[in-house]
Amino acid sequence: MRKLIAFFRRFRVFLVFLILQVIALATYTSVMSFPRTKFLNTANAFVGQLLTWERNIIKYIYLDEENEKLQLKNIELENQLPHNYISIDQKTAIINDTIRLLSFERTNATVINSSHTFRNNYFTINSGTDRGIQRKMGVVSDNGVVGIVYDVSKHFAVVKSILTEDINISAYIEGINSFGIIKYNGEDPQIVNLTGISNDIDIKIGSEVKTRGSGGYFPQGISIGKIVSVEPIEGEPRWEIRVKLSQDMRSLRYVYVIKHIHQLELEELEKNIEQLQ
Amino acid sequence: MNVIVKNILRILVLIFAQGLIFGQLPFGFGIHPMIYPLAIILLPFDTRPVWLLIIAFFIGLSVDVFMNTFGLHASSAVLIAFIRPAIFRRFAPRDDYDLLKEPTASEWGYAWFIKVSATMILIHHLWFFILEYFKFSAWKDIITSTILSSLISLIIFILLQVFFFKKPKSI
Repeated sequence: MRKLIAFFRRFRVFLVFLILQVIALATYTSVMSFPRTKFLNTANAFVGQLLTWERNIIKYIYLDEENEKLQLKNIELENQLPHNYISIDQKTAIINDTIRLLSFERTNATVINSSHTFRNNYFTINSGTDRGIQRKMGVVSDNGVVGIVYDVSKHFAVVKSILTEDINISAYIEGINSFGIIKYNGEDPQIVNLTGISNDIDIKIGSEVKTRGSGGYFPQGISIGKIVSVEPIEGEPRWEIRVKLSQDMRSLRYVYVIKHIHQLELEELEKNIEQLQ
Repeated sequence: MNVIVKNILRILVLIFAQGLIFGQLPFGFGIHPMIYPLAIILLPFDTRPVWLLIIAFFIGLSVDVFMNTFGLHASSAVLIAFIRPAIFRRFAPRDDYDLLKEPTASEWGYAWFIKVSATMILIHHLWFFILEYFKFSAWKDIITSTILSSLISLIIFILLQVFFFKKPKSI
């Protein structure tokens, strides 16, 4: 016994070091997910508040640019208003609106903290459960997909950005309609990879990649980016496709969180797939 | 000022500076300057090793909260807190440290400070980037990130020493 105590006393620094190191690495590798999602991120009230203050100070720097973007979007939307169209024949141009059902709702939010240089990047937005945001909702900007909500608190939410290794958003190439999965390899914050496209399919450089809408996180057809290069992977019957993101993640400021109204229905239905087989 | 209050204030300032300023700067090229290791270097000489580890752990955790890195900074901070005594011993002056003085550049000379902080930053950043990439195939990225970030961090450390840790004027 005395020897044991002597042993602990002799190596106590090393033991404390080991314990702390194990705790840190366990939270990092998400073995311990409770502290990770509960208080170890910027969705907590104190840090969220601090970051909001910081954001309030620096937001004026980008105001001009954002105004211009909003104006452009406004023009685009206004052009779609019915009074801009003249109908040629009153009887044949009836639009039956009830045929469409609203399925996706958008909530606006501001990015208060973001990173793009790490291998796995997250950003924080200033809307939380009080505005109806929940985990696993899709997040888009004016230009395209930016991420999926990872964790929420009352007033803030942490979003897993599209620049994360295991983001796995399913996407299709416009014009070809074959689909694959978006992944990020951590090299360039402007480029993501589209994996899983078989190499017997002809792919044009410059064609658009859009969300497929599976999983119900995003509506179908939201832009992700444009293909910049297509290369064969050695030993695999697949293309390595590099996609340039349409939203530059380095200058991300205003986003919309997408709520899928029929998410629950979709999940319940898809849950049965395994039982049916 | 009391040594404990002084150190706590210094730690808080460095954590906020890291979270709100240095963590947000878009340097590019995989550069992540980290200034909170300075708080660990500047703890008094006679801090007991166990306390050193615990303080470093909490400094790292607070930085993690800001940067959404979930324990990555905590791990690196604990590592350098663990090797700090050995590094201090390695670079000790001939007649050993005066425990009453602080480990700053103005007390022990810039050569000493650069040697100590360069070693600690290098180990800290190397550990950080190895854990972050966690792939052998990414060794080029790890090495470039480590070297470039270490250089920037070291320059920031020295600038902070020059501006904020001047030698108290003798009466």
